[in-house]
Amino acid sequence: MDENVLITLLIAGDDKAFRYLISQYQALMLSIARAIVGDVFADEIVQESWVSVYKNIAGFEKRASLKTWLLTIVSNQAKARLRKESRMVSLDQLDGEIPGSYLDNTNFKGNGHWQHPVTSWSIESPEALLEEKQLQICINKTLNQLPPAQKAAFILRDIEQQSFEDICSILNVSASNVRVLVHRARLTLMQVIDRYQETGSC
Amino acid sequence: MLSCKQVASLASQYLDKDTSTPLNWQIRLHLLMCANCRRFVRHLKITRTLAKNIELTDNAIDTETIWKHLQEKIQQEKSKNENNHSPENKSQE
Ligand SMILES: [Zn+2]
Repeated sequence: MDENVLITLLIAGDDKAFRYLISQYQALMLSIARAIVGDVFADEIVQESWVSVYKNIAGFEKRASLKTWLLTIVSNQAKARLRKESRMVSLDQLDGEIPGSYLDNTNFKGNGHWQHPVTSWSIESPEALLEEKQLQICINKTLNQLPPAQKAAFILRDIEQQSFEDICSILNVSASNVRVLVHRARLTLMQVIDRYQETGSC
Repeated sequence: MLSCKQVASLASQYLDKDTSTPLNWQIRLHLLMCANCRRFVRHLKITRTLAKNIELTDNAIDTETIWKHLQEKIQQEKSKNENNHSPENKSQE
């Protein structure tokens, strides 16, 4: 649906358009809420965000994109909750390297060279890889198992193509941490592709 | 000269054109000489391209339930505002 048409319908109070909006953005908003406040409060935060969207949509000005507006709302709700709960969600996925990951020390010799050759891929064309249905399933599965902050950073950057600056403010993390999160997520997905190239499964 | 480990850690930044010019050159120099890191960076780039085009299968979003909750909440708030004087005796959920 064209964004301008959608916005016009939403402002006019069209219920069907609002349900469409929910179906389009619920998953994204949920991953952002999870990244900021964790699993326990995420559902509630998104539910509250929809109430806020519903109440304020009439005053929506097209200065920002609808997506940016929605992301800001869920981010602000989650940050407010975080302050209320006065606890910090530790980005523990930033501490040290995950064992078995590409950056694990055991993958490198003392001088920093690769311990083993980097796995070669028989399929290197993205178009061909996108045709592989099983691979899509594997990637989706892995994406859903990533630590929440990694998942949200990765989706915002590589799928939603948001700027690092925006991702920092949405997720409430520093610029360097966002980069680390995105890199880690990519490396994990790359390992999934490694395994798929070798075995044809996850 | 950068080590492979350093290149591997910087690879995303390099692909996102987010490295300083001197660092960028150091990485390129390493890539010229190291087939493993070339492959690594190439694969990471493919991964990124793949991600851009991936069809996300979201675990069944129940739009109708979310919508119903939303309507209930809006109704609650409305009646709260209308009956500000009378105590709230209906509790939902
Ligand atoms: Zn190397």
